[in-house]
Amino acid sequence: MSDIQLKNLTKSYGTYTAVAGIDLKIGEGEFFSLLGPSGCGKSTTLRMIAGFIRPTSGEIFIGSDEVTALPPEKRDIGIVFQNYAIFPHMSVAENIAFGLKLRKRPKEEVRSKVKAALQQVGLAGYEDRYQRQLSGGEQQRVALARVLVTEPRILLLDEPLSALDKSLREEMKYWIKDLQKRLGITTVYVTHDQDEALTMSDRIGVMQKARVVQVGTPEEIYERPKTLFVTTFIGHSNVIDVTVVSKGPDMMVVLDGRKLPTRGPENLEAGRAAKLVVRPENVLINPDARASVTLSAKVIGESYQGAIVRYRLGIGAQEIIAERQNSIGNERFSPGAEVMIGWDPGMTEVLAT
Amino acid sequence: MAPAPRKAMSEPGLWWLCLPAAAVFVVFFVIPVASLFGLSFNKSVAGVISYSNELTFDNFVRIFTRATYYEAILRSIWIAAVVSVTSLAFGYPLAYLIAKTTHPGRNTLLMILVLSSMQLDMVIRLFGLMVLFGDNGLINGFLLYLGLISRPLPLMYNTFGVIVGLVQITLPFMVLSLIGIIKAIHPSLEEAARSLGASRLQAFFSIVLPLSMPGILAGALLVFALSISSYVVPALMGGWKVIVLPIHIYQQIAEVGRWQFGAAIAVVLFVTSVIAVAIYHQAAARTSGGRT
Repeated sequence: MSDIQLKNLTKSYGTYTAVAGIDLKIGEGEFFSLLGPSGCGKSTTLRMIAGFIRPTSGEIFIGSDEVTALPPEKRDIGIVFQNYAIFPHMSVAENIAFGLKLRKRPKEEVRSKVKAALQQVGLAGYEDRYQRQLSGGEQQRVALARVLVTEPRILLLDEPLSALDKSLREEMKYWIKDLQKRLGITTVYVTHDQDEALTMSDRIGVMQKARVVQVGTPEEIYERPKTLFVTTFIGHSNVIDVTVVSKGPDMMVVLDGRKLPTRGPENLEAGRAAKLVVRPENVLINPDARASVTLSAKVIGESYQGAIVRYRLGIGAQEIIAERQNSIGNERFSPGAEVMIGWDPGMTEVLAT
Repeated sequence: MAPAPRKAMSEPGLWWLCLPAAAVFVVFFVIPVASLFGLSFNKSVAGVISYSNELTFDNFVRIFTRATYYEAILRSIWIAAVVSVTSLAFGYPLAYLIAKTTHPGRNTLLMILVLSSMQLDMVIRLFGLMVLFGDNGLINGFLLYLGLISRPLPLMYNTFGVIVGLVQITLPFMVLSLIGIIKAIHPSLEEAARSLGASRLQAFFSIVLPLSMPGILAGALLVFALSISSYVVPALMGGWKVIVLPIHIYQQIAEVGRWQFGAAIAVVLFVTSVIAVAIYHQAAARTSGGRT
């Protein structure tokens, strides 16, 4: 078990910069996700940690060892690929024994460790199967067993769930997280799926255009986004045009001619145009006393989603989305209805445009 | 997890798609070769091609009782085997390079280089080799000029020359058989092996090479079949001194006019080739764990 440190890690291809000076410290035993859209550099970062890509500049530490110049086989890492990369010409047992045989472990030890590893991933008795006889989920478990049996210092997961169907993905999400917790292994998880990142991670690093734009716990990332990109990439957000009236913790903004309390950074001066960000689930319709901010709005559209009902609401010329639990007793609103909406200022954020 | 290929023949209503090719194959291959083979059981008479009903094994007895013929059988097999191995040794690295070159321009250039050697007629290519390899050729001339040798090296009109010629002709076939297979090996397999502790070389020998086996087998078979049946290369590069079965066939039919005996040698060549391929296939299937 080791922590991971990236110092000013950069990778450029000619004039194109894939990763631009990333500084990160991933703690021992931590489940850390790199989250971002495709092409943001998250996979390149992971592949640099694994040793498949040589960084243009910067340093990588695993534990106290600098590994920047080491080939992958000397880094003592485990990586699970998107396609699992099960060796098709070897049985499941041979796949799992691969790393142990390279380490010249005695035959008896290899056999018992393979057996224990299969037990651990819930595939006891699968020794003699081949890749073509395994489902996607089973291949993934074999890939994990193959990696974990070598007791790597860190575990790297490159979009391991994206090839699975939805229900299996849900199941594997919790299964991987449980396994990681049980083993306490430092894990870097690359994904473009915000749900995976939010449910599995201890901390998330959101990447955009070769840079890490925000690092934080899932709650911080979701509830305290630092940029518009973060708030729109992770979950849905209403991004509303407002004008700043006063800055600081007791920030006031003007929306549709009304002065509203909210919060925002110190660097937004009064008079500036800014964006008020509020999550659809925090927009209450005909709220009770909890909402200290209320506005009148008009229902433009209603869309039924099963567990929730999503409303499009007009405030002046702007449109926002509100989501309501579709529980028994919850009133439904038809398009054209005049309603009051409200929210808790503590659940809003003002960001620079 | 490649899905099992659907059997086209089992698709109802599609079987007729094979008719045009089957017709060409029957009319222009099966019938002529079968009738030639039929001739081999007739008594050998110079200048006669018509069938007689008197069947005899005289021609075959003659082939297996005369050293000149059965030595030619062994020589043919040996040369074809050496060419297969040599072609593989030269072809694999090139095919690997082409398969791993992702830059489209460079990839195309390499493919053109491989294919361009197939654009010229075989005889022209061999004449080119002769200019290089002859006693007064460029290589010997250069070495003589430098004083490194005092008389020309025997580069041609011997087995060595024939093998060089055959390797030159068959190399593109080997490379083309290998490229597709190597390309199909997902790079993450090699990376997975590396991350599990394998060096570059260990990853190659434990992952890439075993997974290339289908291409290696196909390429080697193709090269073997091309080599054992080649007439032009042994004739030009061997200068009629390296006598392989196709040379005997040509001599018997085109020079002596004994079609029946020539046909018998052709039958022996064909059967030899089939047996060699069958043995090879068995052995190969065993070494690659039945994954061919």
